[in-house]
Amino acid sequence: MIQVKNLSFTYPGAQAPTLKALSFEISEGEIFGFLGPSGAGKTTAQKILYKILHGFEGEISIKGKALTHWGKEYQEMIGVGFELPNHYLKLTAKENMALFAAFYPKEKLLRLEDLFEMVGLEAHINKKVEAFSKGMKMRLNFIRAIMHDPEIIFFDEPTAGLDPVNARKIRDHILALRAKGKTIFITTHNMTSADELCDRVAFIADGEILVTDSPATLKHQHGREAVKVELKSGQTEEFPLKELGQNVSFADFLRQGELLRINTLEATLEEVFIQLTGKSLKA
Amino acid sequence: MKQLLTVSLSDFKMIFRDPSLRIFLFLPVMIFLVINVAVPWLMREFPVLEEYKIYLVVLVTIQMTQMFGFIYSIVLIEEKEQEVSKVYGVMPISRIQFTLFRMLIPAIITALITWLILIVQPFYSIPLGSSLLFSMVAALMVPPYVLAVAVMSKNKMEGMVWVKVINLAVVLPAAAFFVPKGFSWLFGILPTHWAFQGLYKLLLNESFAFEMVVATVLLGLFTTLLVRRFSKTHFA
Repeated sequence: MIQVKNLSFTYPGAQAPTLKALSFEISEGEIFGFLGPSGAGKTTAQKILYKILHGFEGEISIKGKALTHWGKEYQEMIGVGFELPNHYLKLTAKENMALFAAFYPKEKLLRLEDLFEMVGLEAHINKKVEAFSKGMKMRLNFIRAIMHDPEIIFFDEPTAGLDPVNARKIRDHILALRAKGKTIFITTHNMTSADELCDRVAFIADGEILVTDSPATLKHQHGREAVKVELKSGQTEEFPLKELGQNVSFADFLRQGELLRINTLEATLEEVFIQLTGKSLKA
Repeated sequence: MKQLLTVSLSDFKMIFRDPSLRIFLFLPVMIFLVINVAVPWLMREFPVLEEYKIYLVVLVTIQMTQMFGFIYSIVLIEEKEQEVSKVYGVMPISRIQFTLFRMLIPAIITALITWLILIVQPFYSIPLGSSLLFSMVAALMVPPYVLAVAVMSKNKMEGMVWVKVINLAVVLPAAAFFVPKGFSWLFGILPTHWAFQGLYKLLLNESFAFEMVVATVLLGLFTTLLVRRFSKTHFA
């Protein structure tokens, strides 16, 4: 669906490039994530893909056609969920949505009432957006991005500013969109979102992609195949996963006292990121 | 066309819901009262002002073009501050086309209220066609006014400063009436100079075609440059 080869970009007036020869592919129906700290170049790459930034180097093709050759039908095909809420505060939620809906073919539009209900905003549809919390505005961002049933959807930090319950709901909606065959490109520095949502992630730092793979593979490759056992007495010990059932010392240790917890020593995505880049995702 | 109407309707809703902008919509009423009541009264009380009435009519008429320029500048700056402008950047519409569309309604309203004031002012009898032609050219001042303020300002505070600067640039060529003839051309780089001179001739029932052509060309040039700049900066 999306092929990017050697994408480089330098902001006008900047000395160093923000993106350095990025190459990646996103298949149809896949959720692909850019995982990296703030300033890594995630949003810049997305902005180029949704044609807000021009003057890049490299090749980008969408459905086999060069990005630069796509006309306004490309914008009809994509949806964009921005990182920060951006709405007319003096208009109601419904007026905001109706305004932007006017730019899309009517037959493609989803029912506004259904969209508001989907994100739990149906009771606030006629309220001015200035009375909304950040979380409510972000949910409005989300439904604006999908109101015209786009094939490709870009989400920039889709769960930023949301409480855990609403973040969960948005993640579920994103997974539901994938189930419908949508191609989704997410940028995030939220490891939980990336881990739960993405089929594949690319680690990006200082404008470079360091590795691209599925979260499960990355965690497997960089974690330890072992379990850590902790007893209520405070004693802890690690045992290899291999043939754990036949491991006599493991069984003996369990008999030494009351068990508190057993954890696998699989790496988290954040740990993998730090191992590979030497940088924290929270930077 | 549907998009233009939807966006314009939303713009007006926002203007009416903002008390600081809503008040500017009453400015034409105030100007109508000034030109029809206050100025005639002043003429009667102070006959010495009689010889300046043409300048008063010219200045008051040009003021009309600034009202919607100011209101729409603030609408666009707010749009940029709230980052809504980015949303238009990913909509299936040409940025330049959208920018020109957006300027159409304030320009049409400006043309109408300018025409109205030229019709109702009690001092000069002007042919309807000529006054309409002047009003249409005068309304072309709205797009460069709005776009210049919107391009230069990052926020409303900066916007207010630039509004003052642009207002000064709009009114400054009025000084050409009071400087020696040879110096008045110095103001020629500003499109409003030609609007002032054109209106002056129109009020005296002289030919004003040359001034209108120069004003149209200059305003077209300013608008073209500013639309390009605006479409690069506003939506990104």
